Amino acid sequence: MKDDYLWDKSGQPDPEIQKLEEILGTLRYQPRPLELPVSRRRSYLPLLAIAASLLLALLAGGIWLRTRNQTAPQPREAKVISTPSPIEEKKPEPKIIEKPVAPQEVIAVNNKHRHKSVATALSKREREEALLAKQQLMMALRLTTEKLSLVHRKTPNTTPANQIKNQHRVG
Amino acid sequence: MKALFRINLILSLLIALPLVVHAQDSRLQLGSLDHLAAKANQTVDVSIDERLMKMAAKLLSDKDTDERDVKKLVEGLKGIYVKSFEFETEGQYSAGDLETIRTQLRGPGWTRLVNVTSKKEGNLEVYLLFNGDMVGGLAVLHTDLKEFTVVNIVGPVDLDKLARLEGQFGVPELGVEKKTKNEQ
Repeated sequence: MKDDYLWDKSGQPDPEIQKLEEILGTLRYQPRPLELPVSRRRSYLPLLAIAASLLLALLAGGIWLRTRNQTAPQPREAKVISTPSPIEEKKPEPKIIEKPVAPQEVIAVNNKHRHKSVATALSKREREEALLAKQQLMMALRLTTEKLSLVHRKTPNTTPANQIKNQHRVG
Repeated sequence: MKALFRINLILSLLIALPLVVHAQDSRLQLGSLDHLAAKANQTVDVSIDERLMKMAAKLLSDKDTDERDVKKLVEGLKGIYVKSFEFETEGQYSAGDLETIRTQLRGPGWTRLVNVTSKKEGNLEVYLLFNGDMVGGLAVLHTDLKEFTVVNIVGPVDLDKLARLEGQFGVPELGVEKKTKNEQ
């Protein structure tokens, strides 16, 4: 009898089995409408990580290129190179003319009192470098002012500085 | 999709920013002119970066009027670059050499202030780079039949101060001016 109940729920149920049924009945399948999973949000984290890495690499590359250009060995000495004219065949090699040192620079070198603080601040090598830089600077400014004075001569009524002022007025 | 587009836009802007900043840099690339040195009978090549400029400024006296003027002028400058070639004969530099410089001077920010054309003196152009209202650099391009000169000052150059310096300080004679006078 009891076996029949277990087989097809006929006959007398065993109280123990009934108790078990009640306990396990709570876990019975209960029909309910199908809930489809809402579309999951796609994670952009990997993409962001890749993009950030690329950006960092690009920025690092850019900074490196910039610093490399800035610290690239520059010619430290202004060069005035004179090559012989075709007529002068005796001197086939181009020669570098030593620049005459301006009297002011001689004073700058010799006058210890004048640049005492600078002399103590700069080492000998730095000082030589600074002197060369000063010579270059003077040479560059001389050339620049020469060209600007040529402009001034050709356009007597307008100096470049005036032109800027005029541009502001126009603009 | 929108988020991806936004990210792309921001990334592009971030990447483009250094390029724009670089484009506004007033330093000209003059390396392409180096080959002219072999043809020239006189070459002036000056290259002073910010570090050298500061070092040179240390040696400029505050007591000497001329040096003080120079010191004031170079304060804040980031570099001075000059390439000047004088040739024995005409036609030693090509139109391409000139174009490499002019192309850069046609870039954003550069304005040509003066263009003087003379049979004797050749062609003289003065350009300024403006960063907004501020002058960020100066370029002078002088081309003659036998001369090719480019001067590039990087940084906020004061033309009034520069004009005041004209012939005031004792700079070593290079013979450039003398020769020009003789030729005239």
